[in-house]
Amino acid sequence: MNFIPVVILAPLFAASLILLARRIPAALALLGIAVSLLASLALLAGAFNGLTSALTLPGLPGLPLRLVASPLTALLSTMVATVSTLVLVYAAGYMKADGEKPRFFATMLLFASAMQTLVLAGDWILLLSAWEIIGLCSYLLIGFWYRRPGVKAAASRAFLVTRSADLGLYVAVFILIANAGSSDIATTLGTGGKTAAIAGLLLLVAAMGKSAQTPLHDWLQRAMAGPTPVSALLHSATLVAAGAILLIRTAPMLSPQTLLVIGVVGGITTIVTGLIALGERDLKRLLAASTSSQYGLMLVAVGAGVPLAALLHLIAHAAIKSSLFLGAGVFQHSRESTEFKALEGVGRDRPRIFFGFALAALALAGIPPLSGFFSKDAIIAATLASPHAALLATFALAGTVLTGAYMARALHILWRGKAQKRNFAGLGWMSAGLAGLVTLAVVVGALFPSIATLLNASLPESTLAQVLGLGAALSGLALGWFVGVQRLLGPLLPWTRQGFAIAGGFDTWVVRPAFFIAARCEQLERALYDGVLSIGRFGLGIGRAARFGDERGIDGLIFSLVRGTIKLGGRARTLQSGLIHREMAIMVVGTALILAVLTVALLVY
Amino acid sequence: MLPIVSITIFLPLLGALVVMGLRRAPAPMVHAIGIGISGLTLAGAVWMWMRGVNATGFAQVEQIDWMPTIGAAYRVGVDGISLPLILLSAVLFFLTFIYSAKVRERPHAFVVLMLLLETAALGTFAALDAILFYVFFEVSLVSMYFMIAGWGHEDRQRAALMFFIYTLLGSLPLLLAILGLYLGSDPHTFDMRVWIENPPLGGMAAMLALVAMLFTFAVKTPVFPFHTWLPAAHVQAPAAGSVILAGVMLKFGTYGLIRFALQMTPDAFREAGLVILAFGVIAALYGAFAALAQSDLKRLVAYTSVNHMGYIVVGVAIAALAIDPAIRATALDGAVLQMVSHGLVTGALFFLVGMLQDRANTREMSEFGGLLKVVPILGWSFVLAAFASLGLPGLAHFPAEFQIFLATLQVEPVATIVILGIVITAGLYLRAISAVFLGEPGKKWASMPDLSLREVLAVGPLLVLIIVVGIAPFWMLDIIHKTTSMLQF
Repeated sequence: MNFIPVVILAPLFAASLILLARRIPAALALLGIAVSLLASLALLAGAFNGLTSALTLPGLPGLPLRLVASPLTALLSTMVATVSTLVLVYAAGYMKADGEKPRFFATMLLFASAMQTLVLAGDWILLLSAWEIIGLCSYLLIGFWYRRPGVKAAASRAFLVTRSADLGLYVAVFILIANAGSSDIATTLGTGGKTAAIAGLLLLVAAMGKSAQTPLHDWLQRAMAGPTPVSALLHSATLVAAGAILLIRTAPMLSPQTLLVIGVVGGITTIVTGLIALGERDLKRLLAASTSSQYGLMLVAVGAGVPLAALLHLIAHAAIKSSLFLGAGVFQHSRESTEFKALEGVGRDRPRIFFGFALAALALAGIPPLSGFFSKDAIIAATLASPHAALLATFALAGTVLTGAYMARALHILWRGKAQKRNFAGLGWMSAGLAGLVTLAVVVGALFPSIATLLNASLPESTLAQVLGLGAALSGLALGWFVGVQRLLGPLLPWTRQGFAIAGGFDTWVVRPAFFIAARCEQLERALYDGVLSIGRFGLGIGRAARFGDERGIDGLIFSLVRGTIKLGGRARTLQSGLIHREMAIMVVGTALILAVLTVALLVY
Repeated sequence: MLPIVSITIFLPLLGALVVMGLRRAPAPMVHAIGIGISGLTLAGAVWMWMRGVNATGFAQVEQIDWMPTIGAAYRVGVDGISLPLILLSAVLFFLTFIYSAKVRERPHAFVVLMLLLETAALGTFAALDAILFYVFFEVSLVSMYFMIAGWGHEDRQRAALMFFIYTLLGSLPLLLAILGLYLGSDPHTFDMRVWIENPPLGGMAAMLALVAMLFTFAVKTPVFPFHTWLPAAHVQAPAAGSVILAGVMLKFGTYGLIRFALQMTPDAFREAGLVILAFGVIAALYGAFAALAQSDLKRLVAYTSVNHMGYIVVGVAIAALAIDPAIRATALDGAVLQMVSHGLVTGALFFLVGMLQDRANTREMSEFGGLLKVVPILGWSFVLAAFASLGLPGLAHFPAEFQIFLATLQVEPVATIVILGIVITAGLYLRAISAVFLGEPGKKWASMPDLSLREVLAVGPLLVLIIVVGIAPFWMLDIIHKTTSMLQF
């Protein structure tokens, strides 16, 4: 039996059911996602047994759609399904008091389905389609509370920034298909030379948009306007992952130069967004900036030529970051805010939640034996072994120090302060989802060797990397816990609070020029319209000379054509007949004239 | 065999005659006749679809001698380019009749005009005789003039005149080109199939004929800078008129571009291919930017038509420039599918904007806000149609635009710049959605009613078709591809 359709269709089916029934949305959602999870586990089990299932569907002429469950895609599918399931368990509690649960759960399920399509896609058209549809889901979910101030701008911003970057994916896909004559991803990975280099850079642009890499990182922090489960699922573990997944999957095709560019982009991002996270005044926005920073690390690993290290960090980060967001969501319900000012001491309100949050934070910082230690170690080892070791290893270590620092700072704020107990509904569900994810964040590192075997790839090993990585993590934690942010960042602080927007960022460089061109077009438009009207007026002037007596009608006519007109009303009605006659006359004369010319031309010719 | 093509074309005309005979019938009955007749016409179009096309030329040809001495005859038939447009027209007319069932102002005249327009539209797409084509082409113009002048909005007279003069003058060069093709054919005939089989003109004559045809079709499509009539006409036309104008009549331009310009003067078209391509690229980008500057919802949708129709011109030009037949087929597949998608999506958008205007008597975006809460069905329908229009995968425009862009990159990589349009349209639609539907609902519209059953029946099928074409375009592409893959020019 082929489980691929089940993985994708089960959530979709549940979503339709929710929209039709508008009852028990959470239960239906959990059922749908659980079925999807089981099916993806079956795919993964098949992959371990050396089975690759595939599915071909009719698409465009000559370009069929393909789904493939290879070891890599089955693994990613399982990751998506697992995180989705646990986040939806949590959401059953988080959204308990919300009046529009059906819409929320249906959109989340649509997202899960599209994300599964993306990871299982075996051809570029399907991948591109899923890529854009998860963008839509992100728009709908960030904008879920569309009546609140600021939400619609955040949602539009997220969609527009990522879609602008998606042009890179579009063009890369066209180039790859044109070059290989097939849209099959596996076939196109054989592309080489200049074509591969150009396509690789274009893919990087798309990945930078989705994975919120500098300078396109700003949309992700704004996306925190959506419900917290959305941040946990989309903006940490899945949607944002699409960019890194794209580069991991196409890594075999990328040339050394392209890899270096990817590594540098990732390195700059990990530092810039790491600093932003350190200076943040809001817990969710800190986590969002941290997400960009961690994806920057993954790009560094891809750039170092070890996509497996990036994949392992992707998996560890998925569990860790969703745990952190889920914890943040509980704190948010406790204090009805995510600003650090309001959250001081919230850890003491809910010590068990705080414990889970802290475990995940330490895992992210890279403390053994938690999962993040192994994946960070793999990344640092990869950079040390790469031809650009000095550059890339510096990026990786700086990223690690920053991770420790901002997580320690967050823990410090959440723990120092007074407890204030406040109860709210749904804590049971929320704790269950959180517990599941924290467990994964702790133990998933143990699975890494078998993942490496499954993918038939190996990691560079180095004791130096372990020592350096652990040292960086511990010093980061110490800095963050003991040194105030003012002293740490110094003159950089105001910069980080603006999000390092380069001279106004997206607004100055994209939005304003677009509106400027639009305004010019509108001007031209008016000029053209006036031009056509004045041609009309000219014709009417001739008419007036010919029919001097018919003053009234003509006056009205000219009047009717003057811009900025007065209401025409009854006068216009008298025009109508007069003009048509005239135009008919012109038509006949004109036809005769041009006919004559053509006949002469034909004769001469 | 039953002459189902002719029956389908002339059924609405018959209906129009019946309605003229029933001068005293009450409005609901007149509308019921309109809906019934257009429903039967739709059934006829579906029947034609079932019969399909063949891979050698025109299918389902029906022919009667008319003026044998000059080689003109009544000839109709379909291929993979015209059949999808016939189905699209039949669907849009049927839904427009449902939507217009509320018209109380001179309902007899309205229904008669619409039925006349339907015959003209179907005839234009099915005609295989140039004279017949021209007659249908012009009749549609007259009907649309009266539609705008009679049932339009505040400034309708001027808009109707502008539309009429513009497109009437615009279509004269086509007549010249037709005469030229006639004189060039030996023996003289108006049979379009003969002209396609053996293009009658060559050299300079062909180029002149091409320029004449391009002018006509550029006005109709419309292509920048011949588009100025479009926003004016759309803004003033009633919603039903806008739907037909954008959904069906703009396709005359691009259909003619393929059927006449490309197929009857192929060598000249190839020579001028780069110029035509440039016009298409500029139209697509200009339309997108001009739409971004609009604050009136209906004008905004009208300008996005210039953008989407520009992609079709790009696709056709690329098909002419392509050397590889597979790429040529891809470009034409995309162009033809884009016509259908544009009809469905823009039709839905004009319906929805019309419904909004019916409720609020304004189309200014800044007047609204937060309507998603007040009128959820209308709001979500608009969101769906808007995302379709900005080319989201899984919805109707994506497969069409994907094929056009894919072929463009392979033939003229520079022209791929046109893809910028999909970001600009994304921006302008998100802006419109934000302004009209998101945010806190204003007090002013708190009692606005959501869509009635009639309105749901009018717009719902379009939304379903948008999704069906988007997810499974192959059922339509199979028919289109059968023709485009065998075209020789």
